Amino acid sequence: MLIFSVFKTLTDQRVTVELKNDLSITGVLKSVDQFLNIRLDNIKVLDEARHPHMMAVKNCFIRGSVVRYVQLPAENVDTQLLEDATRREAVSQAKR
Amino acid sequence: MLPLSLLNAAQNKPMLVELKNGETFNGHLVNCDNFMNITLREVYQTNAEGDKFWKLKECYIRGSTIKYLRVPDTLLDVVKEEQNRAREASRNARGGGAGSRGGTSTHATHISFLTLLVFYRARDAAARWARCSTRWSYSGKRSWSRHIIVDHC
Amino acid sequence: MASLQGFVDQRVLLILQDGRAIVGVMAGFDQKSNVVLSDSKERVYSVEEGVEEIPLGLYLVKGDQIVLIGELDEAADQAVDLSAIRAEPLPPIRY
Repeated sequence: MLIFSVFKTLTDQRVTVELKNDLSITGVLKSVDQFLNIRLDNIKVLDEARHPHMMAVKNCFIRGSVVRYVQLPAENVDTQLLEDATRREAVSQAKR
Repeated sequence: MLPLSLLNAAQNKPMLVELKNGETFNGHLVNCDNFMNITLREVYQTNAEGDKFWKLKECYIRGSTIKYLRVPDTLLDVVKEEQNRAREASRNARGGGAGSRGGTSTHATHISFLTLLVFYRARDAAARWARCSTRWSYSGKRSWSRHIIVDHC
Repeated sequence: MASLQGFVDQRVLLILQDGRAIVGVMAGFDQKSNVVLSDSKERVYSVEEGVEEIPLGLYLVKGDQIVLIGELDEAADQAVDLSAIRAEPLPPIRY
């Protein structure tokens, strides 16, 4: 839930998604869902020469289960807030 | 159109199922459930390399092992039509009272109708028929517990 | 909510976990990302020769096999000369 919330705050930011098949795609985060599936607009494949497969694709939907990393713009994430929220969530999890 | 509604409409139609391990099953759909577990009859099973063949009278395939299903193109139109007809019928039945609930929301579920064409991939090599025994245990409530044991000779 | 609703009736590119690339018209989808593709064609990429398009027809693809669904810009796709592309096939997903 927490990471889902982080993504929700980052909509309309440019992010880079690295997939488990080593494909890296940069695009504007349009939406995210509970499975961390991602919708990206205006995408650009990082190594275009090696992966011309997506030349005609501008927007895409990426299944959460195949994402390895999502590179976020550091200035848009308040890590302190995130740390505090994580600690609070950990406490409530422990209580349950 | 929901994938599961397509599948439900495809009962008794032929289809090709490929599993995650590459095996393919050509047969007629008997039944399916929400997990996409399916039962087929008159099945031609092929191994991943495409060099071994079996004929099974019936088989059960667990939905989680399926990679994809290929169905005949005409099924799409047939199912779309059926759904349109069903929608018209229910709309006429309801039409009297509710009146102006105009315009079905096509955006929500795009209902399409599938027609399954018999799709058997012709294999050049002669199919080898194996003696297969399918052991079913019927545990009431029309649910089959799945254990197909295929003995190959 | 990342939804596939915007892709319905559009021509899309589906990348599967085994590295296959399939183009087709998305006829439907569900919550598990199972997808119905009509008029689908598989695009086989190779380093030696251009892209080979194999017609497949009506396909129901399981959601757990899908990596990515891309909205194909028809104009851009027409502009691409498939026979001129030389590329390695996409690598499969490794967990």
